[in-house]
Amino acid sequence: MERFAYYDTGHEFPEEIVMATGFTPYKILGDVHEPTDPADGYVHNYICPFSRSALTEGLAHSNEWAGIAFCHGCDTTNNQYDIWKYHVETPFLYWINTPANNNKTSKSFHARELRRFIDHLEKKFNVTITADKLKDAIKVSNKIKGLMRQLASLRSKKDIPNADYHEIVRKSVQMPKHEFIKELESKLKDWKKRPEFPSGMVPVLMTGSDITYPEWMDVLESSGLRIVRDDMSLGERYFAETIPETGDPVEALVEYNSKIPQPPTRLPFEARLDYLFKCLRETPVKGVVYQTLKFCEPHLLDLPFIVDQIKKAGHKVITIEREYTPVIDQQVVSRLETFREIL
Amino acid sequence: MLTVGLDIGSITTKVAVMESGRILYTDISFTGYNPEKAWRDILERTLSGLGLKESSVDRIVSTGYGRNNVSIAHKKITEILCHAEGARHFLPKVRCVIDIGGQDSKFIRMDDKGSVVDFAMNDKCSAGTGRFLEVMARALEVPLDEFGELSNKAKNTVRISSMCTVFAESEVISLISKGESRENIIAGIHDSIASRMVSMMGRTGVVKPVVMTGGVAKNIGIRKALEKKLGIKLDVPETAQVNGAIGAAILAQNLNGSNR
Repeated sequence: MERFAYYDTGHEFPEEIVMATGFTPYKILGDVHEPTDPADGYVHNYICPFSRSALTEGLAHSNEWAGIAFCHGCDTTNNQYDIWKYHVETPFLYWINTPANNNKTSKSFHARELRRFIDHLEKKFNVTITADKLKDAIKVSNKIKGLMRQLASLRSKKDIPNADYHEIVRKSVQMPKHEFIKELESKLKDWKKRPEFPSGMVPVLMTGSDITYPEWMDVLESSGLRIVRDDMSLGERYFAETIPETGDPVEALVEYNSKIPQPPTRLPFEARLDYLFKCLRETPVKGVVYQTLKFCEPHLLDLPFIVDQIKKAGHKVITIEREYTPVIDQQVVSRLETFREIL
Repeated sequence: MLTVGLDIGSITTKVAVMESGRILYTDISFTGYNPEKAWRDILERTLSGLGLKESSVDRIVSTGYGRNNVSIAHKKITEILCHAEGARHFLPKVRCVIDIGGQDSKFIRMDDKGSVVDFAMNDKCSAGTGRFLEVMARALEVPLDEFGELSNKAKNTVRISSMCTVFAESEVISLISKGESRENIIAGIHDSIASRMVSMMGRTGVVKPVVMTGGVAKNIGIRKALEKKLGIKLDVPETAQVNGAIGAAILAQNLNGSNR
């Protein structure tokens, strides 16, 4: 099945619509190991390095994708749409204006935006995206989300290295869905048999910029920190909620989007905090790791308030800034090891 | 019990030797390109000077960026805990530690029992650290150890607005071209470092008494700039620059058995 790529810094993209069109949704995650020189010709070096990596991937691989769609996310995402329009060759480029709010007017607008996207896909690819096809896609998504919730819940009980969980969340947004379901079922059997949570590791909640490469997971692991909860798009935000399976499927997608844990690009930020506190109530952790990618404005803007509130609630927090590189320097290691020492 | 603390920093390597809670000796040398050679040399020189052999040492704790290079250490402990312990040795009631080193600045908050409860470190940037001062000293053609004295003579504090060391250097060069005095510029540099430090401290909260450690603590100009912004008098040990090594040597006393 051909891939349809999407650029979404949250979890706003309606994968189910692309599935109903007959494509495999493929989230553009960039490649930290590749230099961003191609993108740097079109985007200033001070712009988010992840976005430049995503553009580099787009420039190199767009001919492998049926089309590309953006979702309204951070300002960097939105403002790069035109750059992609001029420089990335693709037969279909689209921008979905996902609203930042969840009120009644916003939801009505969101439904119209999704229907408009459907309309454009139908015309471009000469298909009919019926309500039944959408409902089938929603069922597949929900199956995946259910399996991932089960897998994720094992992190606090079994010996599941950070990199193992990270591998799964990456695959959840890039693999063909039916193939992925088989892998999830197999992983679930395997993870249930794993030894108990290791006594030498410290359970933490992680929040902040999405982590798109496993090396960062490894450095947390080597520092003795095991992520047992998170609120990231490459993480729990993707599978925390289930899409309603009754009623109009487009309305169902809108309703689902209004209920998922919020990224920092949505308003108000108390909703994001609510999910973090829910995680902290449900799962015992020793501390919170708030890591941000250098220049990641949405997270950096949220950080002072979120950290202040979490600390006031009595939790230990480390804030740590990282570069977009697989090379983990001693500064970062020292900070993480110190955090572990004081937990 | 004879213990040794080794603090292998990005710029300097420090050693402290303690016997039954008493500091016997401290020393400092440049780390250079080879951290392993740096700690081996300083340890050999220290023990030789004291008439001791390595086998006489009961416990060794290493800290700093190069701590994992110390193969003979019984334990490797991060510099945050070591600096907190070193500050407590100097002032048992200490609640906060400001440490400004070569490439890092740290703020540590402790509870009333001396346990570290929170800390903050500079973001991935050398502005506000010893490195920043070195760059400025070169631009102003002033030895770094004269900075404190010169800033005391400033008539005004020039504002250095750049957040980045490299751009701040350009800004200083522009100020020199405009005829601004070195004293005023240095006062502005100190003010800039103090501002960054105070912002960082605001994230964790400040509780008195506060001890300042690290090589930059020798700079009276920065101490005064910090005291003015915080409205708090800072306590500074004579051994500020080797505080991490002292803390490591103290923590070595608490180790049980041989963990090598």
